[in-house]
Amino acid sequence: MRSLNPACKFAGLLAVTFVLAWRHDPVLNLMVFLLSILLILSAQVKVKSLFLLLSPVLLFAAGMFFTGFYFSAGGDMPVSEKTMAFASSSFWNGLTLASRVLAYAGTGYLFALTTDRILLIRSFQKQFHLPQIFAYSLLAAWGILPHMMQEYRRTRAAFQARGIHTFAASPALLSPLLVKSVRWSEELSIAMESKGFSGHEKRTDFQPVRVHGYDWLFLGFCLIVFPVAAVFI
Amino acid sequence: MSIQFKALTFGYTESGKPLFSDFSAEFEKEKVTILTGASGCGKSTLLYLAAGIYPHGGGFLQNGSVTVENVSPEPLPPKERCLLAGMMFQNPELQFCMDTVKNELVFCLENICTSPKSMEKAIDQALDFCEIRHLKDRTLLSLSGGERQKVMLACITALRPKWILLDEPFANIDNEAAGAIARKLKELHQTFHMGILAVDHRLDNWLSIADEVRVLENGALLPGAINPASFDGKFLESHGIITPGHSYGPKLPPPEPGETVLELKGVSLSYGKQDILKNVTASFRRGIIYAVVGESGCGKSSLFGALSGLHKYRGTILFQGNDLKKRRKKLSGRMGFVTQNPQDQFVGGTVRQEILTSLKGNPKAADISEEILRGIRLWRYRDVSPYLLSQGQQRRLGVAALMAYDCHALICDEPTYAQDRNNTIAIMESLCQQARLRHAALIFSTHDRQLAKDYADEILQLKGGMLHALPKPGM
Repeated sequence: MRSLNPACKFAGLLAVTFVLAWRHDPVLNLMVFLLSILLILSAQVKVKSLFLLLSPVLLFAAGMFFTGFYFSAGGDMPVSEKTMAFASSSFWNGLTLASRVLAYAGTGYLFALTTDRILLIRSFQKQFHLPQIFAYSLLAAWGILPHMMQEYRRTRAAFQARGIHTFAASPALLSPLLVKSVRWSEELSIAMESKGFSGHEKRTDFQPVRVHGYDWLFLGFCLIVFPVAAVFI
Repeated sequence: MSIQFKALTFGYTESGKPLFSDFSAEFEKEKVTILTGASGCGKSTLLYLAAGIYPHGGGFLQNGSVTVENVSPEPLPPKERCLLAGMMFQNPELQFCMDTVKNELVFCLENICTSPKSMEKAIDQALDFCEIRHLKDRTLLSLSGGERQKVMLACITALRPKWILLDEPFANIDNEAAGAIARKLKELHQTFHMGILAVDHRLDNWLSIADEVRVLENGALLPGAINPASFDGKFLESHGIITPGHSYGPKLPPPEPGETVLELKGVSLSYGKQDILKNVTASFRRGIIYAVVGESGCGKSSLFGALSGLHKYRGTILFQGNDLKKRRKKLSGRMGFVTQNPQDQFVGGTVRQEILTSLKGNPKAADISEEILRGIRLWRYRDVSPYLLSQGQQRRLGVAALMAYDCHALICDEPTYAQDRNNTIAIMESLCQQARLRHAALIFSTHDRQLAKDYADEILQLKGGMLHALPKPGM
């Protein structure tokens, strides 16, 4: 999965999620989920960290299961079985909802855990023709994020030291952050410019991100084989 | 060959008084030149003009010209401009846009259209030159400030500009890293004949490599270059420049030791597997001024972060007998924190609100706030946002806001960071005077030994995660 072209991977997995949106089939959902987990594990992601990431998802899925289980559309509800029936029994109904959560989380993690962000943006630039000024500002903004987090904690501590107790992400905390981030982005853009970067000039490409045969195979599977199979399952 | 400013008139506003009017100067490529002067004298502006960042990045060039090697840098596209003059900035955290050292170098080389085949070799050469080959695949986030500045130097080495322009590159890093970078700069100057023009108000790290020091004041260069081998500290001091080994001349009433206000018992702190503080035990008394000194990265900020609640720690910190872990909320206001950047501590929308916040619950708040604001000469700005004040005004407001509480201890993390001599004195005087007046304990950190010697009653050194008392010379 790691060696797939990121843009192709993105397009392929997006297609899969669209197909899943139109189908309410728990078996299909669970198959997608299991396949995603297997692929993630085969890409040498640590089992422990995967489990940590999945635990809130599993909790949410369990919640959805019971929601679907107890509140399935019965005859006395405004939504009739005919119009909104996901499945015939309440158990099946719960399973449908829960498995959708799992399938979406699985494909999402599959993409996030096996993709390098620098390669992703370079690939978007090459394959989807994302302008380089956007591509590199995205990368630069990513670099500022850890600063933002640190600055946020610092501001919060400063407020607390002055006897003002704030809740998470309150507007009082965000306004100093906003002032600072404007200044940071200015500094950063000057630094990038002083290294010769401009949004429009031609640049060379150290390791161009290419589309290989196996990327086409993956796309073919996601865009043709999977939708067709989903219809017939 | 040189950088030339000819009859330059430049200002940040179109109509106001320009920062430079009819300014002319020439900096020769053969000499490593340090341009110095008080904060706000416009020395960084000259650098940005030479790098071609101004005027399109800010300000108005009303008249005159700037040329580097007889070429005007501003109209050039960035990829040609960076070959003329490379820049190194003050803040090592905000210079990179990629994730790893190698990717950042690739980014630089791609910008100047180096052929992909020769990139690997160019990257290795630049890293070897800066002696940081071992950092090649590290992420920039995991590097210290000094290491990041070395990476920045490697970027410049890879780009091979004709000139290197440096804007206080050592402000955030320890002396050892600064020394190593200074030596490499000299080597670049000698082997590749790159011109070097640096701007700094501290001269300590430059003296070993500089050929001449020029002083900028009131929009003009003082006549005559100063030879660093025989320079006159007194002369430079009078122009707001911090020179090694010269006293700040503090004027403070003698200390009156009171009861213990803050106690650290076996405080430890670690990031991941790295121990930053090991079992620190210390006590601080009211009426005394303490300085905490140590190299960058020795854990000064972590220690202060533990006090302010920013970092988790093991062990106990007692403030007037109350455990900080349990009763921090109740103690707010009695322990004041002065941050490096005064903007970090503002909580109010206007200058007056800033003071009123501190006086919450006081029936005479309105009168007291007026008195305080008049005292610090900010009354006429009472309805303005604190962010719009100048740096010096912000600092005065920050200290006054903390002092409006019944504050028993003031904790300041590098309060004079990146300030010139006059500002440093003004900040330290106001902090120390207030602390003496209120009979509060003042604890400040600094990496300026002279500052610690001049203003503190007791000096503590943080080294290897431990806090030791240092004997104060002359006491």
